[in-house]
Amino acid sequence: MKTINILIVDDSPFQIALLNDSLTESGFNVVGEAMSLEEVKSEVTRLKPDLVTMDMTIPGTDGFECTEAIHEIDPNVKVIMVSSMMDDELIKKAKKLKVSGYVQKPFDQEELALLVNRIMADDTLNTELESMYSVMFKESIINLLTRLTKTKPEVVKESNENTDRNTSGISVVMGITGKCYGRVILDMSFQSAEKLAEVLLRRPAKSKEELTNVLAEVANIFSGNACSMINKRNKVFGLRVAPPTTLYGESISISKAELETNYSMVVNTSCGELTVNVGFKRGEGEWMSII
Amino acid sequence: MDVNHINPFLESFTNIMPQLGMTEINRQGVSLKGRFIESPGVVVVIGLMGDIKGNIIYGLNIPDAMKLASIMMMGMPVDDFNELAQSAISELVNMLTANVATNFSESNITVDISTPTLIQGEFTANASTDKVICATMNVNGIIIDVNISLEKTL
Repeated sequence: MKTINILIVDDSPFQIALLNDSLTESGFNVVGEAMSLEEVKSEVTRLKPDLVTMDMTIPGTDGFECTEAIHEIDPNVKVIMVSSMMDDELIKKAKKLKVSGYVQKPFDQEELALLVNRIMADDTLNTELESMYSVMFKESIINLLTRLTKTKPEVVKESNENTDRNTSGISVVMGITGKCYGRVILDMSFQSAEKLAEVLLRRPAKSKEELTNVLAEVANIFSGNACSMINKRNKVFGLRVAPPTTLYGESISISKAELETNYSMVVNTSCGELTVNVGFKRGEGEWMSII
Repeated sequence: MDVNHINPFLESFTNIMPQLGMTEINRQGVSLKGRFIESPGVVVVIGLMGDIKGNIIYGLNIPDAMKLASIMMMGMPVDDFNELAQSAISELVNMLTANVATNFSESNITVDISTPTLIQGEFTANASTDKVICATMNVNGIIIDVNISLEKTL
């Protein structure tokens, strides 16, 4: 990972020392400090930091005016507010001024580091995700089905091809949000889903609604587990699975999505086959705050 | 779910559609539905996570989807709902929902969106909430159902 150069803007030498220690300990390179609008302008021009931590109250100016001055010099410099004050109005204004994140004082070292890392996450994050997500999703579905069915499922086909999918039966669609975002789809025929539901409920599903709910739950647990495994490897991802939408019918044709990376697997279980498709895209710059 | 959550969706139409050359934007109706939504031909599901969570399930019929794709592609004729047209509709949903997220942030509700999934065919969608608010929008004669299935994150 490349060095992240940080400039600290604060009017209190005590806060500067605190931030300096915390950021340095977290592995960032603190390149300087500024205590007034004039110093902000000169230090940003001279030191070319990647990111600036910005206090709100600075004599003769404020954090917003300083942020505007920084973006006039270089719009690519990321600014995060580190202030004891944080309310709706300030957050609204900060977002308007393209502030990347907000941390309230007193701050937590680990949370501040995570925020900086998320904001500065670059393409290496994508490569990292690509190298592991298929393994995590595979492990997660195998573990879950082994526990639920007490038999060992087997992955019989894997592919990275991004294609349209035509199925009939039940499909569960779940969005994924976070630093990389994407979606998961799980499909099963009615017949296989009925068998799986019977194993899990210890009786046949009473209705289509119950059947789709069982499958939605399976999809939700396995995707949630896989995303947690990925987040554990690197917190910067911050992946979250949105609630499942279930589709059922005779003709379900899912278009190939515009994803940067894509993985499908066919899993053979004691109840029949199920197919999983997972894909991701790199996230856009998003607003982040730690409260 | 809060009825006030509809406004960001209505705003997204008035913000985005004119940029694509569609200026006649009317809300045809708002209704409260159960969780089951019949596919009118094309359905696009996009997930939301943050201070509120859930899905937006956009629905429209294939002829309208083709008309919409054609307008988005500067009037290029669209004779069947092919890959390019499907991609245009997904992109529209992405733009609309990203704008919804921005509109929510104006009221300090932070949400992230997932990638959209476009599905065609004859099927029923089962939303993640028991009640779904459906706003039917008429955009230059094209009817788009916006099914809002959201709940507050605890």
